[in-house]
Amino acid sequence: MRDAHRSMFRVGRGATPQVVFICLASVVWLLPVAAVAHKPDTVRKAPAAGGKKSTKPAPFKLPAAAMAQPKGKVMRVAPVDRATRPQVAAAAARIDELLAKHWQQHGVAAAGPLNDAQFVRRIYLDLGGRIPSYDEAVRFLDSQADTRRADLIDRLLESPDYVSHTYNFWADILRLCERPQKDLYFEPYLDWVKRSIAANTPYDAWVHDMLTADGKVWENPAAGFQLRDKGMPLPYVDNTVRVFLGTQIGCAQCHDHPFDRWTQHQFYELAAFTSGTRMRQAGAREKDEEASRQGAQATKNANAEAQRRVKEIVGAVREKVREREFSGDFNQFVAANLTSVHYRPAKLLLPHDYQYDDDKPLAAVAPKVLWGEEPAPTGDGRRQFAGWVTSRDNRQFARTIANRMWRRVMGVGLVEPVDDFKDDNPASYPELLEHLTDEMLRLDFDLREFLRLLVSTDAYQRRAVLHDPASTAPFRFTGPALRRLTAEQLWDSILTLVARNEWAFQRPESAAFAKLVDVDLAAADTTYADVERSYRKFADTYGIGAYRQHLQATYGYKGQVLVRASELPTPLPLGHFLRQFGQSDREVIEGGRTVATVPQILAMFNGPITHSMLERGSVIYDEVLAHPAQDAVDVVFMALLTRRPSAEDRALANEEIRAADTPAAGCGNLIWALLNTREFIFIQ
Amino acid sequence: MYGDMTWADQPLARRDAFSRIARATLGVGLLPALSHCLEAAAATPARARNIIYLMMQGAMSHIDTFDPKPGREEQGETKPIRTKTPGIVFGQHLERLAGLSERLAVIRSLSTETGAHEQGQYLMRTSYQMINSIRHPAFGSWAVHAMGRISKDLPGYVLVGNGNEHPGAGFLDPSLGPVPIADPTKGLENTKRPGYLSEKSFTRRLALAEKIDRDFKERYPGPEVQAYNQLYKDAVRLLGSVDLQAFDISKEKPEMRARYGESKAGLGCLLARRLVEAGVRCVEVEFGGWDMHRDVFDEMEEKGPQLDRALATLLEDLQDRGLLSSTLVVLATEFGRTPRVNENAGRDHHPGVFSCVLAGAGVQAGAVYGASDERGFSPARDAVSVADFNTTIAAACGLPCGKEFQAPNGRPFKIGGGGKPIAAILS
Repeated sequence: MRDAHRSMFRVGRGATPQVVFICLASVVWLLPVAAVAHKPDTVRKAPAAGGKKSTKPAPFKLPAAAMAQPKGKVMRVAPVDRATRPQVAAAAARIDELLAKHWQQHGVAAAGPLNDAQFVRRIYLDLGGRIPSYDEAVRFLDSQADTRRADLIDRLLESPDYVSHTYNFWADILRLCERPQKDLYFEPYLDWVKRSIAANTPYDAWVHDMLTADGKVWENPAAGFQLRDKGMPLPYVDNTVRVFLGTQIGCAQCHDHPFDRWTQHQFYELAAFTSGTRMRQAGAREKDEEASRQGAQATKNANAEAQRRVKEIVGAVREKVREREFSGDFNQFVAANLTSVHYRPAKLLLPHDYQYDDDKPLAAVAPKVLWGEEPAPTGDGRRQFAGWVTSRDNRQFARTIANRMWRRVMGVGLVEPVDDFKDDNPASYPELLEHLTDEMLRLDFDLREFLRLLVSTDAYQRRAVLHDPASTAPFRFTGPALRRLTAEQLWDSILTLVARNEWAFQRPESAAFAKLVDVDLAAADTTYADVERSYRKFADTYGIGAYRQHLQATYGYKGQVLVRASELPTPLPLGHFLRQFGQSDREVIEGGRTVATVPQILAMFNGPITHSMLERGSVIYDEVLAHPAQDAVDVVFMALLTRRPSAEDRALANEEIRAADTPAAGCGNLIWALLNTREFIFIQ
Repeated sequence: MYGDMTWADQPLARRDAFSRIARATLGVGLLPALSHCLEAAAATPARARNIIYLMMQGAMSHIDTFDPKPGREEQGETKPIRTKTPGIVFGQHLERLAGLSERLAVIRSLSTETGAHEQGQYLMRTSYQMINSIRHPAFGSWAVHAMGRISKDLPGYVLVGNGNEHPGAGFLDPSLGPVPIADPTKGLENTKRPGYLSEKSFTRRLALAEKIDRDFKERYPGPEVQAYNQLYKDAVRLLGSVDLQAFDISKEKPEMRARYGESKAGLGCLLARRLVEAGVRCVEVEFGGWDMHRDVFDEMEEKGPQLDRALATLLEDLQDRGLLSSTLVVLATEFGRTPRVNENAGRDHHPGVFSCVLAGAGVQAGAVYGASDERGFSPARDAVSVADFNTTIAAACGLPCGKEFQAPNGRPFKIGGGGKPIAAILS
């Protein structure tokens, strides 16, 4: 590749490779200043101002924190077991057999196989959530090993990139954000989700944990799942069933739906399992009741005393807020400390306007599952509910996640939408879906191993095919569907071209957060002054304003915080690059979109993210500099599109570099142009 | 791809044919036999040329705004106030709108089946239930599709707000989807070329991208790729347009801005007025935060006056500029809120009955249509479905809402959802 166009810079203008090199080194690519090209002494070290009367000094610099070489290990990720490769290959082959049968039945032909360049780009995007860097791409393409694809798959599955990308996947489904309500502090929960991915916790255990967790969110972060719908017990059940069982029963919340099989009564029966979920601290009053049952007068008195103290402190805090000594956040801080999940049996009543004959308004409903065996009673209805949802016998649980993972890899689910399984929405290829469900069970809900299996299939390693969601013709999976990069993939890919250390920042760890936020309001020795001190410290560190400011100050570039999408606080403001490209507002389940809009294009034209790539010191900038000038075009193509330029591409690029004011500017133009291709934003 | 879309008895090339029908039905050249909605609307030629659609996301409480229940326990803390229309009261926070009630057409008997926000908003915007196999177009996309763009440079349809859950152009050409404006104070961002980049260089960059991308585009001529191809063209044309400043509300005098208020609703309405003035066919302004499960009366104290000020100013401003007679203003929400106040002093979802408002072009000013029962629980008379409401909007714009079209999946549909237009509030 590097010999093919050695003479490229000799054409036109008489520029020698040496001159070109100087240009690249000495000029921020944004500034097409020809003059600098004639100052050979400024090679490499010259800053933009050096020798050049820049009318406007560049007001922005790439943040040092994101540009420094990374130090140490980014995060611990559970290793992938290389010994199971033969099993993975065999399982992948079985899926391919099933698909081959399907294609034959429907008279469709498989798409062509991916070449190595297409493979390395796609696998980085699908498993790591970003394009490969220049080095990563070249290393793979230069590899002669027969096992190079399997090697790369395994390596990616144990990388921080996999964790980050998978976090984004779940964040969209679970509606993850820092403050779903003002008094819910979710940092520990978000951190826990990320760590569960890194540890590769089995999916069934993970979900069970979320549905049954007790305590404050920083004591037991899994409680965040139940807290996400705090104060809305019925939508909680609706959302939970939708996410984990792929079934929509929400309409039955209000009334029987004529087209749906679920009745309002069934909805309430299911909701009766979790109706005893409490979100306020198991405070003095409840302990008090318990105490009186036991007749322990001393405990009773102590609890009454604790309750009084809490009330006093809460009152004092309110007073300070009322006097405007503190913002309302102080109230929320106290409320967050009084938020704790626990369970106390409680009856669920039908609505007062219940209108069907099978029961009376306001009648108490006994818990009952939607299908399958009734779970054995325990003291905690949530355990029954969670046991039923995540049971191996509840095939729909395995089927739902198998279908989700299939869509994650192939772009289209066997059932679409993935959260609306019902009789009149059958799978496009039921045999395959059932096989995948069996595989999920065989792998004991090891999602990463399942994913490893899917990306090892021949079907996955084929060229993308067009899919029109509006079409009535079922998708036959002759290759993965052509997809636009998600907002997060796009952001992280550009970051790969800009920041040397895109992991300079990670969201706070649960333990660190707990240390600053936790106050025991009921403890005998807690005073108002203690609470105020804790709050001040907390607000200075994790108060959402201070936190954002810190990020901006350390990793900011033209108002953009240059860290991985998974580490940015959400929901991001509407105008943020990620939101423009369709990142969810984290209010609705799977709210992420990949629809084209004009503001996206303007951001690609003129936005700060585009410009960050063209700044001195960006990864792509340095990458070009590190190579001989005649390789510039190849380097840029490899870094952005993960391929070598065709002969025509090369001619076009050379022509551009020749025609630009300076070759450096031409090179910047080439980068800009590649960023603005469909090829860049779609996974082929 | 979308070229396959035809309507039952009109197998002509889609867009052209439809534009022709639409043009023929606009203004005086109405086709009387076309549909009952046109008959209902045919009395005067006062059809809307532009639409400003305000979407109160989260479900606006009807009892605390346009349908109070004086003297009832359900009324809670929001006091009813008199309006200019005899016998009609609004909630206390809509003071200025109460003074403009003679310009409004209030519908108090809407109801729907769905109490979920996403589905409810989808239904409101598209007139159709959210189903798996198809995405329906939002009303604005229909309007642009049928009536065409007004300005050749500006987009036909702008959405001030989020847009993630917005159905957009649905199965119509993706370029008919709304251009989202995240923040009205920032308008359309990234429209300025960096200082070092000459127009010539910019054009060259684009041409280069175009050429390198040719092979990919040929290999993948799918709708998503084509949508980007089209919008790249739109974006370039927009950048070269003098009308671009329509997106910039800083061009307004501070007094004008103060009149609208600094709320999202206020700034959104101000931007909407600028855009309509400059030739954008349809502007939707999202105004969220109505999901008041807790402390509804406190929350209303903030939200109510913001809406009041924004909408009242918008109507006055449009009137002052002579635009109200050609602009239809819609105030919509996905459903109502429970008459009963819950234990958190909030109101929950209530699709049983709710209120929406129309004003401006094509609308009978001062009308109040339908009523809820004494508790505000169900419609008591003249029940209106979402399809009826949207068909009324379509009729006010002179769109052929009685005509049956066929979507790409073969299902039939009508603009407005095949409802019955409310003749009583059409002018």
